Amino acid sequence: MFKFLNQVADYAKETVQAAKYIGQGLSVTFDHMRRRPVTVQYPYEKLIPSERFRGRIHFEFDKCIACEVCVRVCPINLPVVDWEMNKAAKKKKLLHYSIDFGVCIFCGNCVEYCPTNCLSMTEEYELAAYDRHELNYDNVALGRLPYKVTDDPMVTPLRELAYLPKGVTEPHDLPSTARRSGLRPEEILEQMEKQGSKDNSD
Amino acid sequence: MNPGIDLQRSFIEALMDLGIPSGAAKTLWMPLPMGLMIVAATVGVLGSVWLERKISAAAQQRIGPEFIGPLGTLAPVADGLKLLLKEDIIPLKADPLLFTLGPVIVAIPVFLSYMIIPFGQNMIISDLGTAIFLWIALSSIQPIGLLMSGYASNNKYSLLGGLRAAAQSISYEIPLALAVLAVVMMSNSLSTIDIVEQQSSYGILGWNIWRQPVGFAIFWIAALAECERLPFDLPEAEEELVAGYQTEYTGMKFALYYLASYVNLVLASLLVSVLYLGGWNFPIPVEWIAGWIGVSETTPWLQVLTAMLGITITILKAYLLLFTALLLRWTVPRVRIDQLLNLGWKFLLPIALVNLLLTAALKLAFPVAFGG
Repeated sequence: MFKFLNQVADYAKETVQAAKYIGQGLSVTFDHMRRRPVTVQYPYEKLIPSERFRGRIHFEFDKCIACEVCVRVCPINLPVVDWEMNKAAKKKKLLHYSIDFGVCIFCGNCVEYCPTNCLSMTEEYELAAYDRHELNYDNVALGRLPYKVTDDPMVTPLRELAYLPKGVTEPHDLPSTARRSGLRPEEILEQMEKQGSKDNSD
Repeated sequence: MNPGIDLQRSFIEALMDLGIPSGAAKTLWMPLPMGLMIVAATVGVLGSVWLERKISAAAQQRIGPEFIGPLGTLAPVADGLKLLLKEDIIPLKADPLLFTLGPVIVAIPVFLSYMIIPFGQNMIISDLGTAIFLWIALSSIQPIGLLMSGYASNNKYSLLGGLRAAAQSISYEIPLALAVLAVVMMSNSLSTIDIVEQQSSYGILGWNIWRQPVGFAIFWIAALAECERLPFDLPEAEEELVAGYQTEYTGMKFALYYLASYVNLVLASLLVSVLYLGGWNFPIPVEWIAGWIGVSETTPWLQVLTAMLGITITILKAYLLLFTALLLRWTVPRVRIDQLLNLGWKFLLPIALVNLLLTAALKLAFPVAFGG
């Protein structure tokens, strides 16, 4: 008899506990309702890509020596380098260069290994096209300067989380002078140089 | 107590003064509230779809629909138009008759149930003596439609979804009915008008929720299960299954299911507000306020104001409950089918029975407080 009553009491206790947990959960959900949305209202707002963002590749035709290192380091030998031997000058002459961004994985190996730095990564990532062949960029398309979010008057640029001041998580209405948390690259460089000169004098 | 505004009688009397016989006047009156109710139910769906999208977005720190109309209010209209204009496909090997009949059988009883929702003393399509019973009977037609569409789709997943939906509806019907029964026992009537009247004497303190807190919880849980809302949306389970019994449906037939599910949710919220939250009653009785400021209850403008207040209050209460349903949706994880049936049969049913017996005992012991 008492065992049965104990069971009933336990059951009731568990029910109350379950109700309590659901109530706690509801209060968490309710609390979220008054928080500001974390979404970026693309295309009216865009995040500023970080310095090391690996977007569309930029190519400088005049710097290229047609060495084909980019082809060799590419996981799928993607860049097409069209050159011919200039017999008189005994030099390779570059005729055409192209990368198909429909196939590229943006690993950045070509940029890393290019001996003349004629390849570089841009912050451009809006590569949508109606035809996949439009993504096959020739040297003219590759040579175009990248679009910048911060230069577009139609777009509100927003800083990424790592570029916000310490303790701030809200990129809206942030003054442009607000400093990011931590040291800036030039400050780190300065510090390292100071350190280096101190070590030398020792 | 003053019966308040009576549009039907005024309308019929006005027509009879014009020399129209009373039968014809009644016939002219009848389609008006019905049409109004269907339009109101559909607009209520648009409102609840919009609220669902906006509140869901807020709960996930998003914005939700924003550019389709002011604050995205036209988003559900756009949805509806899209569904209306979509091609109506009946799968080749499906049973065309049952396939078409399924959504109709699901949608009609839900709309029909609006007949018994009161917005004021005389603001109801039909004050039936068996209103609540009628609603329970109508809501048990729904599983037949679900099964029918699941079976007629000629798709094993649809069939399984239909079976699950039917099992769920049937098992939650019982605690729902038992919870209602306790309320009915206290008000000695199945009529929704009487149930609200019986709660109206002491303002907010007279509402059934104070006398039936357990019944309220059971009813709301069971109603959510009946409406296939999260955490009980197993038949549909957006994120896991294709769409249960709706898998093969497109266009207007799918729209009927969609409409019916939201109409049903609004209906359930309205019924909770009628059964447990005092229906059209303002937290402080309007008669008291009228007495304090010294206005007679029969003043025409006061009657119009009371009627409008009643409608607003009923809808407000219903949407408040809708809001809790939405909040629950993003708080509680979906139950498994065995947990669903366990909750229905092993938890809600015994509790509802105990609640019913306790109400009966209290009614015998304290007839003053529990409607002797």
